Amino acid sequence: MSGSIRRLTRCAVLTALALALSVAEGLVPLTILFPLPGLRLGLANLVTVYALCRLSGREALLILVSRCLLGALLGGNLMSLAFSLTGGLLALGTMFLLLHMRGLSLFGVSVAGAAAHNTGQILAAMAVLGTRAPLVYLPPLLLCSLITGTVTGGACILLVHRVPQPLERKS
Amino acid sequence: MHFGGRSMDTPVKRPAAERRRPTIGDGVLALLVILCAAALFFGLRPASGNLLTARIVLDGVLVAEYDLNALTSPVELAVDGGAYPMVIQAEPGRIRVLESGCPSQDCVHTGWADRAGDQIICLPNRLVISLSGAEAQTDFDAVTG
Repeated sequence: MSGSIRRLTRCAVLTALALALSVAEGLVPLTILFPLPGLRLGLANLVTVYALCRLSGREALLILVSRCLLGALLGGNLMSLAFSLTGGLLALGTMFLLLHMRGLSLFGVSVAGAAAHNTGQILAAMAVLGTRAPLVYLPPLLLCSLITGTVTGGACILLVHRVPQPLERKS
Repeated sequence: MHFGGRSMDTPVKRPAAERRRPTIGDGVLALLVILCAAALFFGLRPASGNLLTARIVLDGVLVAEYDLNALTSPVELAVDGGAYPMVIQAEPGRIRVLESGCPSQDCVHTGWADRAGDQIICLPNRLVISLSGAEAQTDFDAVTG
């Protein structure tokens, strides 16, 4: 019993953290520096990577979906929900698979996650607009994901190694 | 309330999570991303020419079409059919969203579009401005637009 409460609390705290990170990120939009729709640093992705590395895929998924739903309630609309969900789920799936591969570090995993997130967002935009026009933004976004992915990857490595492993105590 | 079986409780060691330095695999992955970007970029490269046409499409419906190179003076177009009112400004050779009531303002920040293949997209309004170019005939019998 106490184990599942512990897990529930952990997920709730991480969801709140992810939500706070994505709101904080929205306060300083990168798009002002570099006008490219959909460009973000992807700080909330840190929480996803941490959950994937230290918890489980299931908990990471739960945190991601709750974050997207709550984020849409806070300051978005249905369309922004579609965007963050498609991007987030594609990134989560990609990183989940890549984490099982040998020969990659969190830098690579994070870059792939950022690239997958951008691809998902562009696919969602194509679906919403019904044209392939947004595809034009994908190449520059992919190049940007190399940078944003490396930055968040470095942060992930610090996070995963410095934050103590959650204890699973049985009582 | 149970979240899962015993296997979900114990954190799994992931090989990638234990490394602290980038690996060769990371480099290969980055290269793949660059290759994808380059392939997409060259795959989508538009045909260039001396005709530059801007099509303004709101929610799938063509609102206006300008031959930008044939314009002689700036034109402003107010688009009020979408969720947010916006003003589009076209000048000889270029076009932009001057102002928009949408929350993200991405379309305004995009600035001028002046090359064939450029796009300005306002997602909240479902508006797309796309520029296309074509090689015009050398003899100008008629100018469309």
